[in-house]
Amino acid sequence: MDFKESGIMYAIAAVVIAFVIVQSVFFIVKAWKRAKELGITKETLKNTVISSALFSVAPALSILTTVIVLASALGIVLPWIRLSVIGNLAYETVAAQSVLDVFGVSLSTEVSDPAQFGAVAWVMTIGSCFPLVLLPFLCKFVHKKIGAAVNKSEGSSKVGDVLSAASFIGIISAFIARAINGKTSDGVGDAGFMSICVLVSSIIFSLVLETLCTKYNLKKLQPFAMPLSMFGAMGVAILLNMFAPESLVSFTWWG
Amino acid sequence: MKKNKLTERTYFDKVHTWGRIWSVTALAVLVAVPVSICLYFNVWPAAQDVFKALIKVIPLYWGTAVIEVITYTPMLGAGGTYLSFVTGNISNLKLPAGLNAMENAKVRANSEEGEVISTIAIGVSAITTTVIIAVGVLLFSPVLPYLTNPDSVFAPAFTYVLPALFGALGAGYFKKNWKIAIFPIVIGCLVLVFAPTLVVGTLLFITIVAAMLGAMLLLKLKWI
Repeated sequence: MDFKESGIMYAIAAVVIAFVIVQSVFFIVKAWKRAKELGITKETLKNTVISSALFSVAPALSILTTVIVLASALGIVLPWIRLSVIGNLAYETVAAQSVLDVFGVSLSTEVSDPAQFGAVAWVMTIGSCFPLVLLPFLCKFVHKKIGAAVNKSEGSSKVGDVLSAASFIGIISAFIARAINGKTSDGVGDAGFMSICVLVSSIIFSLVLETLCTKYNLKKLQPFAMPLSMFGAMGVAILLNMFAPESLVSFTWWG
Repeated sequence: MKKNKLTERTYFDKVHTWGRIWSVTALAVLVAVPVSICLYFNVWPAAQDVFKALIKVIPLYWGTAVIEVITYTPMLGAGGTYLSFVTGNISNLKLPAGLNAMENAKVRANSEEGEVISTIAIGVSAITTTVIIAVGVLLFSPVLPYLTNPDSVFAPAFTYVLPALFGALGAGYFKKNWKIAIFPIVIGCLVLVFAPTLVVGTLLFITIVAAMLGAMLLLKLKWI
């Protein structure tokens, strides 16, 4: 049996997965109890759960894609572990490639030396663990300082509302800007015709669904509006890829 | 009123205590992975090989980590932050999940209501993702390459998942606050002209600052 997919690797994966789930359940239970004390309705909490679960399906499948991409070199279990704890789409690929560069191999070749495999595991771990070192020292400080600043500005309700909206918009703007003009490190999904069409479609789907929910008081549809808009736009990407001229589909600003 | 403030402080303090314990435990679990691999297979990679690779990775990712902790913490809330940094995939999953939930529940990120809603949304998102990846790996790994390989009919859907996600998330905000939205998007696009592959954590920091400054200016000019 391939050492990368041996029993011990699956056992390690099981421990990591169990840890992530137990931690998530712990925080959900604590927050749920506090929400009840704060008078947040059961319906709001239920909608939060449904919407968040649905919303996570497509990005999770996208993460799964990275697991599969890395699996050709590292087996399926290590990428699975790394993308279940701290990992992210871009980081793990870069970290793995950096180690394999040292050994003069690439991600397109299977790692057959356990020592190289161990080195990959170490670099992926050390490179990504820094936030966990920072959080115990920094999180409370940042949370309190920024919280105090926002609460101060909320003395004027209008300023508070505007700054709150602005910070949300700032986050979303980064991703909108990337869809309009960004470039990926591997050249897949660079900004251009497809990214802009998908972006505009999802905005249109979202606005249409929001209007329908408001106009016809469709409260049950509301938690599904956001995931449905996202899936709709992903469907547009598939249709464009099938039916639009190749020159348009492959057009990006970055050539 | 005084009692409420006291209760609020106590809850946040508790979250930070839990969060610190979980972060340290997560760090131990994380480091245990390569340790277990090396112990079991009895292979210890040469320190200089690991160091050579780390020297390329650390300046970028450790620097970004500092920016990310400062940027994400006010947005995700305390519980959401501790959870997100353990489970990862923040910008493409946990952050939008938290923002979407707070928007739907009509609560502010920095309020205690925002704190609990964000934590629940991020917790559910983490469980959903973990389960989907686990099921995908265990049951569907033989067929998944056919769905996700570049020639698959579904491939474009996954390639453009982020524009689809943030377009849907941003639509409502942009409709209500289009004057605030223009400036950070323009700044983001301009930055990308000069640094097209800039990491998300750094770009986020720039666009958030741009959005806040732009909004303050609009307020001062009484345009909003």
